[in-house]
Amino acid sequence: MTAIVPEAIEFSAALTRAQAGDHDAFAELVERHEAMVYSLAWHFFNDRSRAEEVAQDVFLQLYRNLASLETEAHVLFWLRQVTTRRCIDQVRRTRMKAVSLDDAGELRAVDQRADPFLDRRLKNLIQELPELQRAVVTLRYQEDLDPSEICRIVGLPVNTVKSHLHRALQSLRKKLDRKPEKQS
Amino acid sequence: MTLENDLKHALRRQAPAPGFAERVMQQIENQPEELRGTPRYPRNPVWWRAAAASVTLAAILGGYATHRVVEHRRGERAKEQVLTAMRIAGEKVRYAQQEVRGIGTAD
Repeated sequence: MTAIVPEAIEFSAALTRAQAGDHDAFAELVERHEAMVYSLAWHFFNDRSRAEEVAQDVFLQLYRNLASLETEAHVLFWLRQVTTRRCIDQVRRTRMKAVSLDDAGELRAVDQRADPFLDRRLKNLIQELPELQRAVVTLRYQEDLDPSEICRIVGLPVNTVKSHLHRALQSLRKKLDRKPEKQS
Repeated sequence: MTLENDLKHALRRQAPAPGFAERVMQQIENQPEELRGTPRYPRNPVWWRAAAASVTLAAILGGYATHRVVEHRRGERAKEQVLTAMRIAGEKVRYAQQEVRGIGTAD
């Protein structure tokens, strides 16, 4: 017979055990959120090794700050906020160019209707956006968050977030040569 | 496909390379003890909040009790001063009466 444990209770137990110093419980927390944290960094930098590095740093920071976190929602919010801010800070510090010229040349010629190529093209176009627009777009479309939730993570007024999102979409449409769509 | 749907597809979550959690745990193990910051402080933040609230309440109540004692002492001192003033005034009146009586008998 298998007992059905609600996920929230299970998570809360893992969090409490991790706070008490149980490394296996902390590893459980990492496994639960690694895809979210890693993907935020990967979509931000379009660089897998850099994303791995950022994600590892974020989880190390989580380990050091476990005591201040109480619920799953709090952990989730904290991880999104720290990852996003770390990505923005890194790009502001280094101003690195994430897309190689070879990749860009290849992408210009691809068929937009083929999904893998379109995905790749979009990811590369996202890299060309200013860092705040990039963060807002990633949180909006990877994490499916509303501007009201995104503004708490990036620490900006909701109207500024909406404006960044609007400008980002406008810029992407222009580069993809698409006409504006009706707002749903 | 709309741009928004394309973005959702392009930006869907992806797992890191296998063994990510192990690599994180390895990093934690490799950290010096002082940097590791292993949780040894509030394991249950609710208890710490309750304790902090109790200390604050005790401080407020203690402060109020001290204030009451100080006020009471100040009142006692004022009462003593009034009684002393009345005693002095009474003595002066008595002395004046004696003087007046003395003048009367001298005549």
